[in-house]
Order: sequence, then structure tokens, then C-alpha cells
Amino acid sequence: MDFVVLSLVLLAIGIYGLLTKRHLLKVFVSVELIATAATLNFVMLSSSAGRGVGEAFLVLAFSTDTAVSAVILAMLVIVHKKYGISDISEIVKIGKVKKKSEAET
Amino acid sequence: MILEVLSAGLVITACLAIFLDEAVYSVVALAGTFLFTSLLYASSGAVFVAAFQFAVGAGTLAILFLSGEMLSEKPSKKTQPRSILAVIVVGLLLSFPAMFLSISTPGNTTSGVSFGEALWNLRAGDVVLQGLVIMTVALGIGIVLFEKRKGAA
Repeated sequence: MDFVVLSLVLLAIGIYGLLTKRHLLKVFVSVELIATAATLNFVMLSSSAGRGVGEAFLVLAFSTDTAVSAVILAMLVIVHKKYGISDISEIVKIGKVKKKSEAET
Repeated sequence: MILEVLSAGLVITACLAIFLDEAVYSVVALAGTFLFTSLLYASSGAVFVAAFQFAVGAGTLAILFLSGEMLSEKPSKKTQPRSILAVIVVGLLLSFPAMFLSISTPGNTTSGVSFGEALWNLRAGDVVLQGLVIMTVALGIGIVLFEKRKGAA
């Protein structure tokens, strides 16, 4: 059983989701998977080496992860409230249209 | 054997979280991912981290359920059971390399620095700084809410 390969597979799934999915909630799920892959690597390597430093790092990494989650969720709520959509490509389109109209005026 | 089953479950639920169309089902699959991760941690001897993962995961999922239910509209077409089965098979196939390849070997788990020592002796500065950051964020949220209420009144 190799946890490095397992975390690599999780990382690949997360990056695939980040690149292909357009819904903000799916992007959030992908970011969570990438964070889980990184923390899995930390914990498994540290527990197989018999050292608690990796686990201690992980507890700190959790708070960073939670902060990232809070920022993404805040963005999701704000964008949905303002434009009524949660699709990244449509948000980019709206931004481009807005820039174009500003340049014309 | 337990570790192999847990890792297969982890990869399958991660695939389902990405591929399922409806947001609530995706969040349920992510809950499974968190559960399998914390079980993996617990079975490899990192009990504290498993507890942290479980607690943080529960909080994140509660918020995600609410936002997923409120903010996302239902997809026009329902996901076919056959495609869900295909995703499960793909997840199972993806978990095979982790089960059968072996780059590292497990070492002994008794020597070295313990979790408590590492957290409080080696990383105490980080813990205090993180506490300060969290306090500042809480203070900021409080001020924003106070100003908003003041503006509304």
C-alpha cells in the first residue's frame, strides 16, 4: 500500500475537476480534494516515519484550508447574489462585456 | 486489507464528487471522501489528525450543504445509474496503483517526536500566530456586522 501514489491520484482527480468543471461549487470541491491530497501526504509520511512534526503541520494546514474554503464560498455567494449565476465562463463573459461597454463610453 | 478498502473508497468518492451533476449529491460524495480520509488517518495511528479532519470536514460540509441547496439550480437531465456505475469502476481502477505499487515502506511508529511535542515545542510560534490571525478575522467580521446593523438602523 503506497500513500504517495494514493495522494497523487487524488491530486490528479482534483486538478482534472479544476480544469474541466465550470460550476463554482465544483471548483470548490476540486480545491478541497487537492488540499486533502496534500494533507494525506503529510500525515502518512510523518506517521510512517514515526514523527509528529508532519501531523503538527497538518493541524496548521487545516486552518489555512478553512480560510481558503471561506473565501471561495464568499465569492460564490457574492457572485450568485450579484449576477444570479455560478458558472465561471459566464462570469468571465459578463466581465468582458462590462469592460467593453466601459471602453465605449 | 482495511487500508486497501479505505483507499479504494477514498478514490471512488473523490471521482463521484467531481463527476456527479447535482450539487447536493456531489457534497454527499465529498462527505464520503472526508470520512474515508479520517478513517485512513485513524488506522495509520494519527488519531488526533483524524479527529481534526472529522471536525473540520463536518463544518465544511454543513456550510456546503446549505450553499449547494440554496445557490445551485437542479440540472435539466438526471444522471443515469449506468454513468454512476462507470464512475465507480473508473475510481476503482484508479485506486489500483496505490494498492499494488509500493515506493515507500512503513517505518517504525514509536521513535521520534510525538504530536504534542511537535505542536507545542517546535511549532508553538505558528500556533500563536494562527490564533492571532483567527482572532483578527473574527474581530473584522464583528466590526463589519456592527457597521451593517448601524447603517440599517
